Amino acid sequence: MLRFILARIVMALPTLLIVIASVFLLIRMVPGDPAALMLGDNADPASIAMLHAKLGLDQSLPKQFAIWFGNLLTGDLGSSIATGQDVLSLVWARFTVSAQVVVAAVLLACLVAVPAGVIAAWRQNGKLDISAVSIATLLMSVPTFWLGLLLLLFLGLKLRWLPVVGYVSIAEDPWRGTLYLIMPILTLFLHEMGVILRMARASTLEVMRLDYITHARAKGLTESAVLWRHAFKNSFGPTWTLIGLVLGNLLGGIAVVETVFTIPGVGRLLVDSIFGRDYPVIQGCMLMVALVYVVVNLIVDLCYPLFDPRVTIE
Amino acid sequence: MFTRASLLALGILAVTSPAFGQTLRVALNQDLRSSEPGVNRDGNTDVVMTNVVEGLVSYDKGGAVGPLLAQSYEVSADGKTYTFKLRKGVKFHNGNPLTSAAVVWNFDRYMNPKTNWYCLNDFNGTNGTKVVSYSAPDPDTFVLQIEKPDALFLDSMARTDCGGLAIMDKASLKADGSWDKPIGTGPFTFGEWKQGQSVQFDAYKGYVSAPGKERDGFIGKKDPLVDHVIFMAIPDGATVKAGLESGEIDMAIVPESDVKELRANKDLAVEVGTTPVRNSFILQTRDPVLKDVRIRQALAISLDYKQIVEAVTDGLGRVNNSPVFDTSGYFGDVEKKGFEYNPEKARQLLKEAGYKGQQITVHANKRSTVPSFPMTVIAQQMWQAVGLNVNIEVLDWPTQLSKYGVGGYMMQSTSYSPRFDVASGFEQISGDKDKQPRKVWDNPEALALIDKAMETLDPKVRQPIFDKLHAMILNDVPIILTHNRVSCMAHSAKVQGVEPTSFSYGVWGITKKD
Repeated sequence: MLRFILARIVMALPTLLIVIASVFLLIRMVPGDPAALMLGDNADPASIAMLHAKLGLDQSLPKQFAIWFGNLLTGDLGSSIATGQDVLSLVWARFTVSAQVVVAAVLLACLVAVPAGVIAAWRQNGKLDISAVSIATLLMSVPTFWLGLLLLLFLGLKLRWLPVVGYVSIAEDPWRGTLYLIMPILTLFLHEMGVILRMARASTLEVMRLDYITHARAKGLTESAVLWRHAFKNSFGPTWTLIGLVLGNLLGGIAVVETVFTIPGVGRLLVDSIFGRDYPVIQGCMLMVALVYVVVNLIVDLCYPLFDPRVTIE
Repeated sequence: MFTRASLLALGILAVTSPAFGQTLRVALNQDLRSSEPGVNRDGNTDVVMTNVVEGLVSYDKGGAVGPLLAQSYEVSADGKTYTFKLRKGVKFHNGNPLTSAAVVWNFDRYMNPKTNWYCLNDFNGTNGTKVVSYSAPDPDTFVLQIEKPDALFLDSMARTDCGGLAIMDKASLKADGSWDKPIGTGPFTFGEWKQGQSVQFDAYKGYVSAPGKERDGFIGKKDPLVDHVIFMAIPDGATVKAGLESGEIDMAIVPESDVKELRANKDLAVEVGTTPVRNSFILQTRDPVLKDVRIRQALAISLDYKQIVEAVTDGLGRVNNSPVFDTSGYFGDVEKKGFEYNPEKARQLLKEAGYKGQQITVHANKRSTVPSFPMTVIAQQMWQAVGLNVNIEVLDWPTQLSKYGVGGYMMQSTSYSPRFDVASGFEQISGDKDKQPRKVWDNPEALALIDKAMETLDPKVRQPIFDKLHAMILNDVPIILTHNRVSCMAHSAKVQGVEPTSFSYGVWGITKKD
């Protein structure tokens, strides 16, 4: 097991290296100068040159990369060009905020969508199935920003049940913090529920057609036992993979939801830093995104044997 | 169900109730850039920080410079020595008295290149005026000398992008000399800053206001009338609107298109005014096509400005083709006369210039705070109607700005940041393109006139110069100005004293009824 984990981490290193080198180069190939942005429309060439020198942007690209990469190996991701904040602590602080929303939303979505998908497959073409598929398709089709605004207008403005703007950390005040997180979590939950439900249904349908399910029924097992002990365990693999991808994708940035609900998460940080050409922050965010993908996929792989005995880790 | 709703409602009450005393909640479209005035800054940060820090001089509501921390100031006969008498009784937020020694300490800090003061080059001789010395002959007097007379020196000291040369206590720095937080003399103290979310300012009970019976731009009566102010970073316009309607936000700048709807809400009000920000199309006069002044003139007179401005401001803006902003004292009958809308004459000019349908590309951006894109789309139709082949290239703002900086464009739709002094406003767009490619108007006669306007503050001398510059720029057409930015400040009906101008985020003098 340990060897497997270590091997996966070592295998991930080239991926991470390629990601960070690509991000480093690509963002500098995009037109737009952080110094000119900081100095505004009054910037003269001398002032811009001075700021370039101060920020180290007057160095050659290989040298800039070597300096940045050298610092990275010591755990130093540099400082934000815009605010001067330490990038590592900034990105981590914002990531933990995003993670609260994403993990809660995906967990809830799994708890609702997986059983719903399995039951919909069990009752294929029945009223339950058609309703579940219709709702899932509708939820998948509505963009998150629109869903968010609808919730904001209905729960916040019309019913006045939840606060419309602002954010309070759960660590600072658990009750108020939870109130602020309900709508963003609900938005993501509704959106992702549709995706997961459809996958759970489709993979269960495939398994339900197999001979061993017929055999199980012929043995006289209850429908519940057939469904959950035999069908679910064997059909959950693809859904589990999808959950891992959804989680990795969302942890990489939910900028739209964060913008609508004024949540100071990593997605908003990444978008703001791209518009501000804040290179160190962009690099820090992208490194975090890549790491999250690697870690989430590793966890997904490690969990396979828990429900699928055909998979072993060697 | 009832129980759950009640619990949630109770929770909201807990969320929306101020911790203590009256709290004014103001929306910003983005967070403060830093808490260090004039060093790490942007437009929002400049104005928000005027609540916390003050300089020796600042702007009144008409854009003229007046004393703020100074009781008075005198300029020597040769125009090189400025003597400031400090207001008595003023204390920093930590209780330390304002003295001329503190002013000297601040000047030492600003003039030190290690501080990275945004305006250092404007004060050390690199870009004009050079401060040669300053001293504190007595605790209430600060004397400063510049190398040669400069009528706009006080204006430079007041500039918000320079932090208004904020005078702060030494304790604003940590023991190691690095920045901590601003300890100024303003009506509010700098409170808790949750970066990316909000910043809280608290009323400074020991505030000593400048003389005056009412607020007057950044000077005049500036007493804090609410206990706390929270500036909240809310980037999404729809969320801001929902926040205003739910009562969770007390004040916010809103787009013109929302004004009618918000005014229909009896719990809200909207103050509308114009600012010195100038919306424009700039033209590259060195471009092979646009170097012909007749084509530039045709571009200018083929636009129906009334229609454009009405469309992009929802009927709230006024046409202004002059670099002189329309609330300036120098905006007279001459400046009111803009481009004549004459599509027939435009066609004639194009024919005379031998225009054969060469493509003209206009850079525009979709930032929500400027009318760049909608204005360009409407103008494109009008240009095409007279036979001009105009293409729009939409760029993100950093890309457009970088192209602007090197003069790498045919045309751009852009907005110029405010300059309260009219001569500075002309200088902002004018200059030698060989030395400063970002400048759009490179006319030696105009540059000489601008220099002349910068030598004096006498309106009798300046007005004819500005009138002449206005006429010249309409003829040269290096820039097509359309209108000054409309500022729409929406606020709760409980909030009184809101300014619909560039000074909107200065929240002194604002009251909020419970």
